[in-house]
Amino acid sequence: MKKVLVLVLLVIVGYFLTDTFNLIPFGENRIGNPQDEQTVAGYYLNNTVEKTSVANTVTAIVVNYRGFDTLGEVTVLFLATTGLGSILFRRKEDEEEIERINKPSSSLMQTGSRVLFPLIALLGIYVFIHGHLTPGGGFQGGAIIATGFLLMLISYKNFKAGHTMLNWVESLAGITFVSIGLWGLLTGGTFLENVLPAGELNNLISGGVIPIIYIAVGFKVAAELTGVLDILLNIKPKK
Amino acid sequence: MQNFEQYNSIITTGVYGSAIALILIGLYAVLIKKHLIKIVIGLSIIDAGVHLLFVAIGYIKGGTAPIFSPGNEDAVNKMVDPVPQALVLTAIVIGFAVTAVALSLVIRLYKHHNTARIDQIKSLKW
Amino acid sequence: MVISPVHYIAVPLLAAFTIPLLSKYIHKELARIVPGIVLLYSVFVSIVLMMQVSEVGVISEKIAGWSAPWGINLMFTPFSGFLASLMSVVGFLIWLYSYNFKKIEQSQSQKYHILQMMMVTGAIGIVLTGDIFNLFVFMEITAITAYSLTSFYRERDGAEAGFKYLLIGSFASVMILLAVMILYTQLGTLNMAEIAQNAHLIPTPLRATILVLFLVGFGIEAEMFPLNGWAPDAYSQSPGPIGAAFAGIVVKAGVYALIRVIFTLFDIHGAYDFLIYGGLITMIIAETAAVAQTNLKRMLAYSSIGQMGFVLIAFGIGTKTAIIGALFLMFNHAVIKSLLFMSGSYLTYNSLNKKISALAGLGKKLPIVSLLFGLGAFAIVGLPPFSGFWSKLYVLTAAADQNMLLLIMAILAVSIIEIIYYFRVVSTLYYGKQEDEEIKVQKPSINAMVSMLILGATIIVVGVYPDIITHFLNNAADMLLDKASYIQAVLTQNIN
Repeated sequence: MKKVLVLVLLVIVGYFLTDTFNLIPFGENRIGNPQDEQTVAGYYLNNTVEKTSVANTVTAIVVNYRGFDTLGEVTVLFLATTGLGSILFRRKEDEEEIERINKPSSSLMQTGSRVLFPLIALLGIYVFIHGHLTPGGGFQGGAIIATGFLLMLISYKNFKAGHTMLNWVESLAGITFVSIGLWGLLTGGTFLENVLPAGELNNLISGGVIPIIYIAVGFKVAAELTGVLDILLNIKPKK
Repeated sequence: MQNFEQYNSIITTGVYGSAIALILIGLYAVLIKKHLIKIVIGLSIIDAGVHLLFVAIGYIKGGTAPIFSPGNEDAVNKMVDPVPQALVLTAIVIGFAVTAVALSLVIRLYKHHNTARIDQIKSLKW
Repeated sequence: MVISPVHYIAVPLLAAFTIPLLSKYIHKELARIVPGIVLLYSVFVSIVLMMQVSEVGVISEKIAGWSAPWGINLMFTPFSGFLASLMSVVGFLIWLYSYNFKKIEQSQSQKYHILQMMMVTGAIGIVLTGDIFNLFVFMEITAITAYSLTSFYRERDGAEAGFKYLLIGSFASVMILLAVMILYTQLGTLNMAEIAQNAHLIPTPLRATILVLFLVGFGIEAEMFPLNGWAPDAYSQSPGPIGAAFAGIVVKAGVYALIRVIFTLFDIHGAYDFLIYGGLITMIIAETAAVAQTNLKRMLAYSSIGQMGFVLIAFGIGTKTAIIGALFLMFNHAVIKSLLFMSGSYLTYNSLNKKISALAGLGKKLPIVSLLFGLGAFAIVGLPPFSGFWSKLYVLTAAADQNMLLLIMAILAVSIIEIIYYFRVVSTLYYGKQEDEEIKVQKPSINAMVSMLILGATIIVVGVYPDIITHFLNNAADMLLDKASYIQAVLTQNIN
């Protein structure tokens, strides 16, 4: 009976969604001619290079035009880690009783991940350092680094993610982000304003504060995701 | 040319269709499944569908990535809409955070009741 | 440094990122003290900005140097400013109340205080932002802190309540995201003022879709029937002060978003009727359910839902008097419900279980707390001379002006129901027979007492001199109804 009701509901939702998106043709040019600057997207495409010297428009939007969203997003991640810590809180004496859920893995896996880990970390760092030039950025790079840590966590049962280090990285990265914002507020008049010179397009050092913020975001995301993985993996009570 | 039109309509149905299908599959999992982990997976699938839809609405026929890398500087008129891409990045991260919190709640529930099946957890009305 | 609305957001974020280091390397207690200082600073910002805004009209702030609609902007209008100030004051009092809260373990209090501070910050962000997607982000900040805080206690069924809340909240965020997406495809902008200006250009079927998605999404946060399944569990399972935070802060933010969408974004007549009917059903069902509750906190939760229904009705009437009444109700609900939750959680803490019947005789053992609870109960049902009376009077006057007789009768009938169940608790407190003489009473700590006394004093002072607050409400209602000047204030930023 319940299944029938749910199926009816699914049909209704499906019909509603198809009906709605039929009115929004796929692949249609909705931003108009960017040179007209009629829409927000057109403005971004037309002015990003000139005003921020950032090649990747998406990065310019994420870090500069809508940087406030990104700050909120980083905060959401931070709060998720904090919330996880409070939900899965253990008293000090229970802390010893907990171990990682995975079984010890083969030496093939262990050697493989030891070789791969630095390369993955390097790729992640590359992705977030070049966030303003190529596809990618802080979130993507941070996620890549976190997968490297995940590989280490599941292949070595004794691998410790280093809580002190994670705490330092996530706090310092967050402080950097907000401090750059406050620096903009003090010198430029608005929060998160790009106060550094924009530099030349497609140079590594260009875009003013944008790469600095994205690198901080990269470190922060890597630390938060690793922290989340570490908390979620260490849940099995020792016998 | 007609071939192209036909091809395009297949793509349209494919992208929108798969996104909507993902939303429906996720919804089905959330509403029917009794296992908490499966419910969380269902939520993630719904999120994935919505994110796919979000990226899809920014696509412009024949457009390139909105990146002014060398050789691509003059492509302003051919670039796809960058805003949905930026927004979906935010939405994905938020989805991740919610999933993480949901999983930790599942762990708590499992420890507390020794089961992760929703029909066996009866302390609160569902 | 010039005080500006961004201080509400930037300072708490800086503090939240710094607290883990401070408490680890300098002093443990800083994790509890710093959020209090930050929230006090928010109160200070509110006072400064409220004084400014009564002179200038609207304070709008650009973020990252891009004026609207290219960038995100914060709008401190008399309306949003009033709510932001209310939230920061209630947030600070909740911090004060929970500073020494007995049941929070030392090692976990750091997380509790960070989460509580960020909950307030997220809600203030919702109220201040001028960008619809940014509003979504802040709503998620508030929601994630709310999920975590709901399941804060290990010994209770907090995880169930939290999971339920999370499930419903995820649907809300999916719907808001879909609505934002469709809106973006139609107008190519996310700025709320520009959306408001161009909303009539959207084809009708899509406009209706967007509106429905927004109403359902924000309706969940605003505890509207039938989307409020999360509320009673979340209120009753979360720590006492967090119940106050839900009533005073989180729900207010949801109602704000709902009102912003209906009044500013889509000025459709049908939506107002929707608010009246939705509010009426919510109010009647919730208040009837409240009578049947035996658990004090669940009763307070249902009463809170009912009050939010009342607020929606008042907004739905839509005249200036009604909006003043609605804002006054929101103010009263924030102050009085916080007081009820705060004093109620001491009462239940000292009873054997959370049942109302177990409160018997506590009136003598905890005289001041019981007195404050009684004060809250009298105020929320709308007895003169307390502040609750004035808000009800405003709404009833507005309804009478519009000749909505049935509505008036419904409101009065619900008030009688409210009187019944609140007086049942108060009479149990004072005249109930004690079953067990030996219960050792946990007296509230000084800071909790100060916090509750401030709230109690506010109820009485505003009740005797309602003019203190109606001046602000008047400006706020003008601002909410004057859509054109909001749009103008946002879109002419480029000039300065």
